[in-house]
Amino acid sequence: MSLSENDFPVQEHRLSNGLQIRFLPDRSLPACTLYSFFRVGSRNERPGITGISHLFEHMMFNGSRKYGPKEFDRRLEAAGGTSNAYTSNDLTAYYEDFASEALPLVLDLEADRMASLLIDDASLARERDVVKEERRFRTDNDIDGMLDEALGALAFLAHPYHWPVIGWMSDIEGITRADCERYFRTYYAPNNCTLVLVGDFDPASALREIERLYGPIPAGEALPPVATGEPPQKGERRAVIRYPSQAPALLAGFRGPAGHDPDSLVLDLIETALSSGEGARLKRALVYEQELCVDARVYFGWRVDPGLFEVSLKLNPGVDPGRAESAVWAELARICDEKVSGRELDRAKNMVRAQLLRGLSTSNGRAHTIGQMEMMLGGWRAMLDLPDRYAAVTAEDVQRVAQKTFAPHRRNVVTLLPGEAAE
Amino acid sequence: MIARDVELPPLQIEKLPSGLTLVAIQKRGLPLFHVRLSLPAGACEDPRGKAGLAQYTIDLLRRGTRRRPAHDVDEMIESMGAQLYADVSMEEAALALTVPSELAESALDALLEVALEPAFDEAEVAAARRRSVAALQSDLDEPANVAGRAVVSLGYGPGHPYGHPAQGYRRDVDTFQREDALSFHATRYQQQGGMLAAVGQRTPRELIDLLKRRLAQFDGSWPGRSQRAPLQFAALAPLQPARAVVIHKPDATQAQVRIVAPGLPRSTPRYPEAVVANTALGGGFTSLLVDAIRVDRGLSYSVSTRLHMNRRAGLSVFSSFTKNETLRELVDVALEKMRAYAAAGPTEDALEKARRFLAGLFPLGLESHEALAEQVADALLDGVGLDHLRLYRSRVLGVTAEQAREMAAELSPARDGHLLIVVGEADVARRALAGLCPIEVRQLEEFA
Repeated sequence: MSLSENDFPVQEHRLSNGLQIRFLPDRSLPACTLYSFFRVGSRNERPGITGISHLFEHMMFNGSRKYGPKEFDRRLEAAGGTSNAYTSNDLTAYYEDFASEALPLVLDLEADRMASLLIDDASLARERDVVKEERRFRTDNDIDGMLDEALGALAFLAHPYHWPVIGWMSDIEGITRADCERYFRTYYAPNNCTLVLVGDFDPASALREIERLYGPIPAGEALPPVATGEPPQKGERRAVIRYPSQAPALLAGFRGPAGHDPDSLVLDLIETALSSGEGARLKRALVYEQELCVDARVYFGWRVDPGLFEVSLKLNPGVDPGRAESAVWAELARICDEKVSGRELDRAKNMVRAQLLRGLSTSNGRAHTIGQMEMMLGGWRAMLDLPDRYAAVTAEDVQRVAQKTFAPHRRNVVTLLPGEAAE
Repeated sequence: MIARDVELPPLQIEKLPSGLTLVAIQKRGLPLFHVRLSLPAGACEDPRGKAGLAQYTIDLLRRGTRRRPAHDVDEMIESMGAQLYADVSMEEAALALTVPSELAESALDALLEVALEPAFDEAEVAAARRRSVAALQSDLDEPANVAGRAVVSLGYGPGHPYGHPAQGYRRDVDTFQREDALSFHATRYQQQGGMLAAVGQRTPRELIDLLKRRLAQFDGSWPGRSQRAPLQFAALAPLQPARAVVIHKPDATQAQVRIVAPGLPRSTPRYPEAVVANTALGGGFTSLLVDAIRVDRGLSYSVSTRLHMNRRAGLSVFSSFTKNETLRELVDVALEKMRAYAAAGPTEDALEKARRFLAGLFPLGLESHEALAEQVADALLDGVGLDHLRLYRSRVLGVTAEQAREMAAELSPARDGHLLIVVGEADVARRALAGLCPIEVRQLEEFA
């Protein structure tokens, strides 16, 4: 089943300064979502300023020429809206959900900060402290965060995926105002941005307003190249973390393809077969049958450059990590050695399709999906035929991609063992 | 101007003689069907000494029915592309499924079979007990989770029906037997007080007919009403002098902080004032506390106040975290700001912002099939009616300065008798909080 363009009548526009615009009107609720996607993430950083993309995301809420410090969210909330943002390895996305009457204000707020963000030492110092707290929360005192950071550093030697999106603590401390100003000029130009507006609005007047507000902002220069080189992995890599936890944990990663590679869709289905739902292979084997883990999950997210297929285990207290590891390798070997049944493949396809549909059931979800498709697959239309592309995946494809991905020499394994933290 | 009140989609409600309420909501657009069964079998129904039994029972539902073993139950549900939602709140057990529209009948049959015909196989019961005990220990690794468990345990106090986490305690879960789950299911999974809600493309009449057709197969086997003792909802314990409980988490470089005081029940007719006053204090990104703690001082990444509103009692809770070195500063700022807010209420600007923030975003909370079913079911089960949804915007926009001020005084978590909970390094916390109030140090394992 394809999604129909009649159901998703997305309108495309582009300003002369390069700003891309995507509209999807929908009058069913008196509300809208606006996303601003910037093609910049931690892959655009360099050692010494790791974490600047994420720190900068915070700085974007600290005032611009027309709307000074504290004004962005204050004005937005007073008009019946809310905002948030996230930074990934590849992109930075800002969104506002709001009562439809607030659209002119929201466009003015966003255009003003793209045109004239204020970056001063005092707000940088405060935001740096906030980000350090976020790092303590998500990484330094969080087992999943610790494992994730260690896995990236293990699996990537040369590529910027080596460092965590939030950055190393010492780099967060060292980023200067000049770094931020250079970063803003380089990456926050209109030609590096895609706006996606979904919901209850009139497209003609919204476009006029966007032309008026964003049109005068000059285009930026071409982006600096990203050092995407990464040597081939020639053997298994391992790391151990000691931490006073209740139970061991394990995170393994296999280098996989880039998001735009057709094999990524196959890995999406493998991810689903292994860990989506209670009947998924890993959950069934490790949680229910062998009782080795509290939880067993797989994560494969599309990235601009070749990324990681990750297996995460939260072990039962007292379980030997070696036993759990062997059980995982056995399950991965099974998917390499034996073709999946038609029934299991259909289950995975149905689950992926349903997940796609559910993601489109809110304004925010539709806007985010449209933007993701623009960023990762080169255009929003890719979402229309995604169900057909998943449907076309065969059991042979699954076996071929599994064999290519899960070779033992491509493994990267981080194990967390309960104990005193090493200094 | 935020002008329009929310117009709900076409819907129909029908109460059956058995006591079960059917709700049918037509939602055009995406070809999806959602069904949600809510039953009066939440964590507040856990018998004394059996904290976690409601959760344990619902976890076991999918581990085999009288018609098929666990793996086949998973296969039945997941081959439709669906994932079963099955969880408990304090008040209810809820099961829900979302599937493509053409699978509506199969989804309903699957949901009802899982909810009403569990096998409670001995081996599955024992395995579930081992899994739950392991998960409860593992959860101690998440300081925010420990803080959340401590809020309900200490906030309501032992013996109160809301005074334990839904997942229960390891010491209780360890005693669970097949008979416990069987008995809980037999007495709580009844039609009286339950609600079966469907959201889909068909008309409400067609959806009601569909629900009745599929329910017919359980005629005579699903009890309408069962005997059980009513819950005892004594008032919360009288206020004690302010005190601090420090839960020792070795090697933590950051402390989780909660400040807890009694709140309001969900049934309060002053709900709009309560959410407006709470939003101005600690909701959204521009509240008084976010400004003072995050924006002005950079002390934390996350700051909020939240009203835990159960049907018959509630709590008002401040939440944040900060590095060990600034624990005292964060607590001092939070208490000072919350005391000042209790005395003066929100400024006119803050009040207007909170009203419009809540009213503007409200429609987005009804957007997905799942959210629509949950909101409608909750409004009906909580006894506040659909006007709660239809008139939410105008009611919130109508909250006066006087009402907000009164509510600020009543709900600020920093009142005499508040409870301060810190999850972090005990020695660090004890030094930081010295002189503030009496401090009691508890071990992490006590909250498993």
